[in-house]
Amino acid sequence: MTAPTLETLLGDPYDETNPTGHAAVLAADDAGEPLAAGEAVLDGWSVNAEYVPVALGGRLADVPTLIRRLRPVFRRDAGLGLGHGLTTLMAALNVWTAGTPEQCRRVAGLLLAGERISVAYHELAHGNDLARNALRAEPTSAGFLLHGTKQVINNAGRARAAVIFARTADPAAPPGGRDHSLLLLDDLDAVAGLTRLPRLRTSGLAGCRLAGLGFDGAAVPAGALVGEPGTGGSTALRSFQVSRCVTAGVGTALLEAALFGVYRFAAGRILYGRPVTALPHARYLLAGAFADLHIAQAFTHAAARSLHLCPAAAGRYAAAAKFLVPRLVEDALGDLAVVLGARSYLRTGPYAFVGKHLRDIAGLSIGHAGGVSCQLALLPDLPGLVLDEPAAPELFGTSPLPPLDFTALRMRASRPDPLLAALAPALDAVGGELAAGVRVELAELRAAAGALPVAERGVTAGHRSLALTERYAWLLATSACLNSPHAGDPLWTDAVLERIGLRSGRLGEPRTTTAAEAAFAVLTDRAERGRSFDLDPEPVVRTR
Amino acid sequence: MSSHPGFRHPPLLAAEELRRRLTPAVSAAERDAADVAEEFPAAEVAVLDDYGLARHYVPAEYGGLLRDYESAAALMRGVAGHDLTVAIAHGKTYLGSVCTWVAGTAEQAHRVAALVSAGVPVSWGLTEREHGSDLVAGELTATADGNTFRLDGEKYLINNATRGGLATVLARTAPEGGPRGFDVFLVERSRLAEGTYTPLPKVATIGIRGADISGFTLRAAQVDTTDRIGAPGTGLETVLRALQLTRTLCSALSLGAGDHGLAEAVAFAGERELYGRRLAALPAAARTLTDCYADHLLNEALATVAARAIHTMTGELAALSVAVKYLVPVRTEALLARLRRLLGARAWLRDVRGGVIAQGTGRFQKIERDHRIVSLFDGNTVVNLNSLVSQFATLARGHRAVREPPPGLAVAADLAAPLPAVNYGALRLVPTRGIGLLHNLAPASAQLAELAGADPLLGPVAAAVRRLTERTETLLAEIGTQPIVPPDVPPYAFALARRLAAAVAAAAAVALWLGSHRYFVDGTDEPGSAAPLWRHGRWLLAVLDRVLGQESTVEDEVLDETHAVLGTVLAGQVAAGAMPSLLSLGSVA
Repeated sequence: MTAPTLETLLGDPYDETNPTGHAAVLAADDAGEPLAAGEAVLDGWSVNAEYVPVALGGRLADVPTLIRRLRPVFRRDAGLGLGHGLTTLMAALNVWTAGTPEQCRRVAGLLLAGERISVAYHELAHGNDLARNALRAEPTSAGFLLHGTKQVINNAGRARAAVIFARTADPAAPPGGRDHSLLLLDDLDAVAGLTRLPRLRTSGLAGCRLAGLGFDGAAVPAGALVGEPGTGGSTALRSFQVSRCVTAGVGTALLEAALFGVYRFAAGRILYGRPVTALPHARYLLAGAFADLHIAQAFTHAAARSLHLCPAAAGRYAAAAKFLVPRLVEDALGDLAVVLGARSYLRTGPYAFVGKHLRDIAGLSIGHAGGVSCQLALLPDLPGLVLDEPAAPELFGTSPLPPLDFTALRMRASRPDPLLAALAPALDAVGGELAAGVRVELAELRAAAGALPVAERGVTAGHRSLALTERYAWLLATSACLNSPHAGDPLWTDAVLERIGLRSGRLGEPRTTTAAEAAFAVLTDRAERGRSFDLDPEPVVRTR
Repeated sequence: MSSHPGFRHPPLLAAEELRRRLTPAVSAAERDAADVAEEFPAAEVAVLDDYGLARHYVPAEYGGLLRDYESAAALMRGVAGHDLTVAIAHGKTYLGSVCTWVAGTAEQAHRVAALVSAGVPVSWGLTEREHGSDLVAGELTATADGNTFRLDGEKYLINNATRGGLATVLARTAPEGGPRGFDVFLVERSRLAEGTYTPLPKVATIGIRGADISGFTLRAAQVDTTDRIGAPGTGLETVLRALQLTRTLCSALSLGAGDHGLAEAVAFAGERELYGRRLAALPAAARTLTDCYADHLLNEALATVAARAIHTMTGELAALSVAVKYLVPVRTEALLARLRRLLGARAWLRDVRGGVIAQGTGRFQKIERDHRIVSLFDGNTVVNLNSLVSQFATLARGHRAVREPPPGLAVAADLAAPLPAVNYGALRLVPTRGIGLLHNLAPASAQLAELAGADPLLGPVAAAVRRLTERTETLLAEIGTQPIVPPDVPPYAFALARRLAAAVAAAAAVALWLGSHRYFVDGTDEPGSAAPLWRHGRWLLAVLDRVLGQESTVEDEVLDETHAVLGTVLAGQVAAGAMPSLLSLGSVA
């Protein structure tokens, strides 16, 4: 017998008596508290095991599967998904990436016992600027003394353990590339000189209990060090590659759920004597959001598979997806809110979750490496990309994946770019005017990137240079779509190409609705049959 | 450079003064606690009542202080820039009373004026739970019975419904409904029998949590024939004409939110250290700020010209008002989203501002949350675009021939020109002569070309206006060919309507610069003065570039210089505590 999925365990979100349904989620959100019943479901299902590699006794076999398994949680409540555990994964990834076998075993043991681990990078004064993080780990004969404060750290008030990003270099020394290290504190309650700081309230993602950790000369043993001294930045940037893909991937679930909700609303709401779904504009908005969902998922799918199949380039795809996908999801949710009208502004009722999702996606977008830091990660790579070897079809399919090899992830991605290299052949295969437009865009991007002066490749880059990373991300998303198995359907291909053109600002609104109407028909059929709208549909439990 | 203070725009000065009055009323922690607890912002509403703000909702002819809508809107902007919840809580009374100004008798107007001036909150009962913006489907009925009407039914999502003493209610008077099947009634609660007016529970909203958003049920509520506004069967028409005013004025709420959001973002960027530099000094971040400022200035230009046009181009308001109500809130939402991304976690934390951790200091999240209501109420985005689309055929006809711009346009665009009283009888459901601002583009383009002859620095602006003019001509030709059978509006028509609204906004900016630059260009250069924005058409160039997008004619170098000027003025205005505005002359006392 197979284990029940989270979709089954979390149940029909439209059932008002369901303790993990929309009504219960909204009530907890209103109270600013995590959804206790949801946390109980996740604990009962041992969601932490999803974060532990199979080799360490867990169920983490590959990243796309992880994303897929977590989708039911994020359809209902991003705060639950992120607050309960995703940040534990982010902490553990550092250990999987750079920890000793013993550290890995210990952390696996903690996770499998259901413990939470906080991931403590953020300092209020420095945000995404890791290199200037000030919390200091002063070396002593026995280990380190920690001084400083981390803030906006999920579960800092209740986590058993934490991974801390700390400056280990002499504070008087000029900044270099190896100033910071990661420390694993596996029992925070046993650390003298550590204060758990009060919770910081947020607008949204109430399931995340963000707080701070204050260290005042706290002594930690030398064995707490994860990886070599000075490798904190490198480890962080490598483990971010996994967590960025996961965050982008689960973020699409918010859109999937909202798309169903707004479809359900529109099918039942009578305006001007007919259901709202009879209005061409409403159908177009729904179909557009459907295309947005598929673009986002095709892209995150390829990015997540690249971690396994072309890890040397995966960092770029992870950064591009983390930058582009939450924003695309936010835009699509905004369109859906237009269909919903005033109900998107209410905190009660069957569709109030749409407004909540719209608010929460912004938090998901900010949290853990905001958009510009992802763009800045991409920018220096753009001039030197090598497009000789297109990715193999496996990058886009569903074949079994080799285990994730954390040592193969690179701090700086390699120049060959298999995903972008796969774009031109796919364009040839598709043909037509839309594809021709993309081909021109690819050539223009290559030319502009090649001409990028050195001074325009770093933090002082102007907006025109930074805009190249956005165009690059859209081209990657296009390649992921056109190489996906779905590209065999010309109507689907037209729909996503029109949509990418529109969303990227390259094309105006389409004059015809052929592709959108075809997409709307698929959407209706899925809704009627209880299948999700995902690129890889699955059965969903929800009142139609 | 000259340093005399020059022209000061009275509406803006009054708005800034009102905003300053509100500042000490409540602390950030109190504001936050009230927001969480969904408490009505009574303390600040009391400040507004002391100021007599409600009298600015009442036309002067009925004893109020409302002489020009630009000034009234500016006051509302000042309140909104302080706290949008407060602005919406108080300003709703204007929306509730406007049907009377538009279509009521003098007697009715005096009666409503007395109530409003006495501080009685007024609500506007239009929407119903199952019908939303589909007003023709409204089910609340008014049944004639001798000299009285009996009202039965429910109105839902109504601001002021619980606190209000007067409700202006749209009711179905003909069982079969239809365009002539509704009337508007004044429902004064103190005149009703006990139990006939029952407020609905407060509705839990994402933002403006303190506002009185609820609804009411009428059961055998008896009103007099003299409570009916206008001739029998004219209710929907009255509402549509009244909406032309309110939709134009709603832009003040968005401008206030933009003022507030920009101030928060500029302050943050000015003190935030990132990558060893101040955030404001990172070129891409600086450009984000000035892009948002340019969008805000475009909104301000459109809103200002449109508010003045209530007086001088009244017959065109059907088109102008929906263009304003669509464009200004949506562009403000987009600029707030961009600022949010710039602010990062600060935009999301409720208790952190800059380096300070204290309850309620994280204001940005509230600005964005509160502001989302603006694109939803009083006709949402779809309703406004739909309305523009429904005018396509008439507008296209109005633009088939070249016309002189209407004489009222020059007055609307000249900020020092006195505004005539509004003739509400001139409100029309469709402008038959097209949109004056668009008729004005060709002569404006010629005028700018001439000015560019004398000041070569105006060359890029003249070229941008020429491009705008060409593009708009193409657009106007295209909207005439749309096959539209409401409500089956093809999605592409919505795209055209968005472009039309953008063209109107850009045309308003062109007209405003041409009509008023002479007052500003010699103004002071002290920090915060908008004078440098007006010289050489700088702000106009920046906003035209934003509207034209990929079709912009502006060269990168010129544009970068322009944005540098915008950045300096914006920083100066925020530092001076002035509104980020085209109309500020700096040096706020």
